[in-house]
Amino acid sequence: MSLVPHVLLSSGVNGEPWWIAIVKAFIVINLVLVTFAYLTLAERKIMGRMQLRYGPNRAGPFGLLQPIADLVKLIRKESFFPAAAIDVLYIFSPFLAAFTALCTFSVIPWGPGWEIGGYQINGYVADLPIALLLIFAIGSIGIYGFILGGWSSDSKYALLGSMRTCAQLVSYEVALALSVLGVVLMSRSLSLVDIVAAQANETWYVLPQFVGFVVFLMAGTAETARAPFDLPEAEQELVAGYHTEYGGMRFGLFSMSEYINLITLSALCVTLFLGGWHGPLFPGPIWFLLKLFFLLFLFIWVRTTVPRLRYDQLMRFGWKVLLPVATLNAVVTAILVVAL
Amino acid sequence: MGNVLVWVIWVAAALSCIGSGIAVISFTNPFYSALALIGNLASLAVLFLLASAEFVAAAQILVYAGAVMVMFLFVIAYLGGRADAPWAGGPRWLQIGAFVVGAAIMIEVIVALATKAGGGLSNGTEITRSFGSPAEIGRLFLTDHLLAFEITSIVLLIAAVGGVVLGMKTQAEGEAS
Repeated sequence: MSLVPHVLLSSGVNGEPWWIAIVKAFIVINLVLVTFAYLTLAERKIMGRMQLRYGPNRAGPFGLLQPIADLVKLIRKESFFPAAAIDVLYIFSPFLAAFTALCTFSVIPWGPGWEIGGYQINGYVADLPIALLLIFAIGSIGIYGFILGGWSSDSKYALLGSMRTCAQLVSYEVALALSVLGVVLMSRSLSLVDIVAAQANETWYVLPQFVGFVVFLMAGTAETARAPFDLPEAEQELVAGYHTEYGGMRFGLFSMSEYINLITLSALCVTLFLGGWHGPLFPGPIWFLLKLFFLLFLFIWVRTTVPRLRYDQLMRFGWKVLLPVATLNAVVTAILVVAL
Repeated sequence: MGNVLVWVIWVAAALSCIGSGIAVISFTNPFYSALALIGNLASLAVLFLLASAEFVAAAQILVYAGAVMVMFLFVIAYLGGRADAPWAGGPRWLQIGAFVVGAAIMIEVIVALATKAGGGLSNGTEITRSFGSPAEIGRLFLTDHLLAFEITSIVLLIAAVGGVVLGMKTQAEGEAS
């Protein structure tokens, strides 16, 4: 029995039957997909209003069926790909990007856990002692989807886009990882469930870790390649970046993985800095969603407000501003945690 | 049930580890070699997971498969060679030599294990819940293996400073010309 590795013991360890975890995973994935669909609509609506336009308003009441119309359009498109593309990698990379984007949500806690019909149901799909590392590890694998897609398309714009993606994501990943180090030091755990519990006992880490929070938001914007850090797909220079040669649902998968990465990143930010699902009056998942939507709105707001950086500004900002600030924050936090 | 699952995953990961290792040295196109190396590192991470070393597995994926290999792919994609076929076919003398040397090392490892390990391999060791956890690894780094840890950090620091110095030198030469 002792030879069974921890990883196979993780499920069902908190008194929950294994099939409940599978049902929850199914529900969570579908909820994330619905959130993604309506995030695209919300983004277009909010951006439209901020730019004195209406945004999409034709499909259904208030344009509410627009994401479904988009989906049908993408699926029905011809699966075209360039003659010189490398077939296997070209087809494989959107799947890799979408898969890695979807599976990171499994370790994010969204509720306190309930007992329904005699079954214990936890407020997360999986609780791992290394959950935070897992999110970063899977995210770093997800980068390959973008690189391979751009490289295998045999197009200079796609290749340049994927090179930019690669350089930007690797640069900002360092600052992102360092910015959460303060939270890990304060909660003394890498498990997201423990981090949320620690915030319920003390205070939301956005207050003591405000510097880390700001660095996390900025590096996170760059990690998800959104304005003002959307250099990898700057329309005016690169057509569309690494997915220039993609169309139909393959493009849809790339686009989906970008939005889902944004949702996961916001959910991670809620978990690490904003107290997770904790809050007065409403049940846990409602608070989790409210905080999540607030952060998503913030990202959309920033996109319409701040103009794009130049490439050298992007690199200088990442390495010479964000990284030293994040390092300093981690060092100061470490000293304070030991001293107090 | 649990043990059968462990065996199935172990065999799959071990085969994929060996297969991708062979692929790394057999592909002619360096881009595919690098991709195979990512596969190799990922299957090693699965083996770490099976050994209850979750932290090492995550670090393996994050640092090696994630960060280091992205740099490899970045450089290879920049330098071209995209048109090369993934595999030119037929072994070259270098690969045959690599195979012989690799086999020799493997035999050496097997002989060393067989003579030194004794009965330790056949007995399962009790694994505590904290085994392989970040806290436990950190404790070991800062107590039992402090010297090795500090020496490694200094070596890494020297490497980082060296990288900066080399980069500055080439930049200055580029401006002069």
